[in-house]
Amino acid sequence: MSIKIIKPGVLATLQDAGRWGGRSMGIGCSGAMDIFAMKSANYLCANDDRQPIIEINVPGPQILFRQDAVISLTGADLAATINEKAIPFWRTIIVKKDSVLQFKQAVSGARACLAVQGGWAAQEWLNSYSTHLKLGAGGYRGRALQKDDIINFTANKILITENKVLPWYISQHELDKIYQPRNIIRCIKGPEYDWLDENSKHTFEENDHTIQNQSDRMGYRLKGKSLSIKHPMELISSAVDSGTVQVLPTGNGIVLMADHQTTGGYPRIASVIKADLPKMAQLNPGQKIFFKIVGIKEAEDTLISMQEQLAAIRSACRFQLKKYLQY
Amino acid sequence: MQALGKNNFSGFIEAVPAYNSLAIFYDVVTIKIIYAPAITAFEWVRSFMEQLISEMKTTTGNSGPVINIPVYYNGADLIAVATQRHLSVTELIRIHTAIPYRVFMIGFLPGFAYMGKVDERIAVPRHAVPRINVQPGSVGIAGFQTGIYPLQSPGGWQLVGQTPIKIFDINKNDPCLLKAGDRVQFISISKETFDQLNEY
Repeated sequence: MSIKIIKPGVLATLQDAGRWGGRSMGIGCSGAMDIFAMKSANYLCANDDRQPIIEINVPGPQILFRQDAVISLTGADLAATINEKAIPFWRTIIVKKDSVLQFKQAVSGARACLAVQGGWAAQEWLNSYSTHLKLGAGGYRGRALQKDDIINFTANKILITENKVLPWYISQHELDKIYQPRNIIRCIKGPEYDWLDENSKHTFEENDHTIQNQSDRMGYRLKGKSLSIKHPMELISSAVDSGTVQVLPTGNGIVLMADHQTTGGYPRIASVIKADLPKMAQLNPGQKIFFKIVGIKEAEDTLISMQEQLAAIRSACRFQLKKYLQY
Repeated sequence: MQALGKNNFSGFIEAVPAYNSLAIFYDVVTIKIIYAPAITAFEWVRSFMEQLISEMKTTTGNSGPVINIPVYYNGADLIAVATQRHLSVTELIRIHTAIPYRVFMIGFLPGFAYMGKVDERIAVPRHAVPRINVQPGSVGIAGFQTGIYPLQSPGGWQLVGQTPIKIFDINKNDPCLLKAGDRVQFISISKETFDQLNEY
């Protein structure tokens, strides 16, 4: 069973929940930028959350299904069509052999996740299927998908004989808990927060920061009212993480994302809370954000709520899918 | 880091040592359930680590294994560095190979070992404008640090030589040759030996 890439789009890669345990060797986590969308996409296909998804950017790929498949699309709404017929996001979809999936434009958000029942066949490296682009390891040959690539999946046993969107969905109410309000990004103070002068501490929270064009899977560059460090000193390199907000010598911030380096030498003034990283991952260049500093308790509580929400989605999907699939 | 290796906890993911810090990555949900229903996972991990550190015996930095790394000293900056430091190339090589260097941390790139400290006589600042392409295996100096580029990458370190050894290899079970705490002894080799040993 397989799909074939007719047109590659931009930087479509296989990603899972990330590669853990390599940071002390300088190997970063990688993984899906939007973990909520990645896990939901898997649950909608009756998978556990270890299966890799295809992370899709704009312009998206054009994909031929060479056999029947159960798929789902989550994350950004990229105006997806199957055989030129619009299909919804956050739903389970039955796709028949010889159908073509494509993406017309970004309606909202930045990147989508495409899952298939049983998962895409991918190369595992250091216990993860995620593509490490710099090392050329994991995922599909360690690289972004190209024209004519064939990605396999295990046979899907479907009790339906036509292209069909299954009749339940992850509600807007559930999604709003994760993705709204879209431009408020919560963070905790970083180890070097107090290096900011008093004015800059106010600026950081009260002024907006615009996401710059040079933003990618490694990090989002921000531009706003300049932030200044009290006594400019060079920080001795230390660990950084997805969500770490650093201040560059220009006075602008950068938020590190999934493909970040493992260590850095710029002051770490804040960390975006884990539960707001999916929201961050769906922002596009030109959008403005406000940072809001919260306590560690709130950061942990919101992460736990997100995990509980995912667990509920998982059991609801399992219950519904029993009627349609054999797995 | 070593003390943690023997005594880690449920929910522990990984630890990243750096020059003067150790970052602990942990799973908030697991720790909340198992250890810390009443306090934050952060508070629990912090007190766990404080307890561990208070029980640690201080050790000197010379305990790691010594790994010999052959280097053909032909780097693009070799002559410039020697000239800048008023040394002959032979003296520069002798000083760079005189002592084993401690691996302080791995970072910047997969497998990139920050090592030191180099002798003051050969310490030179990095290039103001980094090179766009540094070849894998290049051995460089930046301030009091020395290091080896594991992959082709942009880089600002002053390049003095080239090792024929792959210090990072995705095809190995343990892809990274060096670990924080190891000691590295550079050994000067000829062009002929370099060609014989070349793994790239």
